[in-house]
Amino acid sequence: MIEVSGLVKTYPAGRKEFRLFDGLSFSSEKGEFVLITGRSGSGKTTLLNILGGLTRPTAGSVKINGREINQMDDDESSAFRSKTIGFVFQFPGLLSALSALENVTLPQSLAGHPANADAARALLDRVGLSGKEDASPAYLSGGELKRVAIARALVNQPALILADEPTADLDVETEREIMELFAGIHAAGTTIVMVTHNPDLAAYASRVLRMERGGLTEKTP
Amino acid sequence: MIRLIGKNIAYRPVRNGALFVCFAFIAASIFLGHVLMAGATGSIHQELSRLGADLVVVPAQYTSESEDVLLRGEPSTFFFDRSVLDEVSNVSGVAQAAPQSYFGTNPDNHDSPLVQIIAFDPDRDFTITPWLSEHQQKPLGHGEVILGSGLAGDIGSTNYYYGQPYVVAGRLEPTGTGVDYSVFIREDDARMMAHLSEFYAEEMFALPDNDISVVLVKVQDPSQAALVAERITEQVPGVKVLTPQSLVSTVATQLDATVKLLDLAALVAILVSLPLIAIISLMAANERMREIGILRALGATKKRIFSLILGESLVLALAGGITGVLASLGGLLLSEQYIASSLGIPLALPATGELATLALTTIIVTTAIGVAAAVIPALHAARTEPYLAMRSGEL
Repeated sequence: MIEVSGLVKTYPAGRKEFRLFDGLSFSSEKGEFVLITGRSGSGKTTLLNILGGLTRPTAGSVKINGREINQMDDDESSAFRSKTIGFVFQFPGLLSALSALENVTLPQSLAGHPANADAARALLDRVGLSGKEDASPAYLSGGELKRVAIARALVNQPALILADEPTADLDVETEREIMELFAGIHAAGTTIVMVTHNPDLAAYASRVLRMERGGLTEKTP
Repeated sequence: MIRLIGKNIAYRPVRNGALFVCFAFIAASIFLGHVLMAGATGSIHQELSRLGADLVVVPAQYTSESEDVLLRGEPSTFFFDRSVLDEVSNVSGVAQAAPQSYFGTNPDNHDSPLVQIIAFDPDRDFTITPWLSEHQQKPLGHGEVILGSGLAGDIGSTNYYYGQPYVVAGRLEPTGTGVDYSVFIREDDARMMAHLSEFYAEEMFALPDNDISVVLVKVQDPSQAALVAERITEQVPGVKVLTPQSLVSTVATQLDATVKLLDLAALVAILVSLPLIAIISLMAANERMREIGILRALGATKKRIFSLILGESLVLALAGGITGVLASLGGLLLSEQYIASSLGIPLALPATGELATLALTTIIVTTAIGVAAAVIPALHAARTEPYLAMRSGEL
């Protein structure tokens, strides 16, 4: 499902160069729930964004479902993202001008499909937001916003969900509810890669990796 | 995409409202300037064609009043001696000469507005009579009048002047000039009206027997009109010769400052608004960078982001352009006469076709300005890497 090899990512730091990854490699099988933990600034989010094609690595190969995503042009990578990958960001990441339902159907329109409101309603119902379809994001709580974002990530039935600190800033009870949702998605066969600084979430994952000094080390869940 | 454009515009009413007003102002400035120019120019041509004369000989001391009557329809009364008619007729190069007498008068009562009565001699006339013939009407008979388009009275109805009934025999088309507020009457009827006013009217209407106001001249060779005008000025004392060129020139001089002002207003509006709109669009794109990053993550291509930003500006510019054109057109229709008298120019709105072309051109230009101003912000938004776009505002 995911094959990363020889990944290098550098950033300019004044006249010098900061090397975040220097030959990072890892792979993941279809249907895994991979939790990547690590300290702030260790590169978890950057790795997730490289996997999603949102930023390009300096060198190395990233293959998702056998396709090298860094060699795709903009049209190809956009189409690939909309059909294969669902994102849940650390911040709510909803469009304020749209209702909850419209936010969920947005990826369908961007993928060139007609908006399927029934499917979007069913997803909102699945994440426990039945009756809030027409609500503006401005009137939803942090937990509800996360739920809408999860429904949106699922609407195109992607093979891979990339989640960046999805429970950050949430209370314990809401965090548990959100993680239960991810567990259900995983149980349905979707591959999940989630990054978090919270080691307590390891219980939900099938595999835990720790990011340190630009590399990943396997940990027992 | 179109729905998203609409939602985004509606979600930020203040900023987008300001842009909309900006576009409407640009459109109104461009449209007003061109309609006034086209309206005034068209009006003069209509007036000259209606006049049917190559030259108009007027009393030298009443040149300004004559121009006011001819161009703006400000009722006025002025005379010179009828002998001028014969003197002008005898000048070499003159083919026909016809007298007209002008009376700015209040024929009904003291409260009604002044009207311009123009008396003409049917035997020598070459302007009103051909027009009647052209419109399949018999020559103007006794007790009949022809009305300018701005005066009340249907054909066949009776109007009263100084207590005397006159049948409306014809109505002229609108010209936007003094003709629109003039009553054309036979000279002998006008003298009878003056005579009877002594008995029937509240106020007597004086018309000296041997006086006329202007002499309309048709020259033998129109290309020599300027030369004939010079001869008349030399040979007939106390007169001034108005030529079509001099009338156009008078209006052009009056209009020049206004047209320059409107052109300047449109230019300033564009020069000030274009960078302003570009800056507002750039700020808006930066402010929405995280939203743009999200759209990219969800599968929006660079082209789609570019189209989204450009599309929002296009919709605002189009809506602003249409509103600006409609608002200025409405304003013009409601206050056409006020504008004409304020600017001191004859004004008839251009024909529907020309007006539609001007409106369409203005809307296209305004929309193009809106699109041009959004190109750089749209490129900036589309080219930013999604990851960096989403982190925008964090640092």
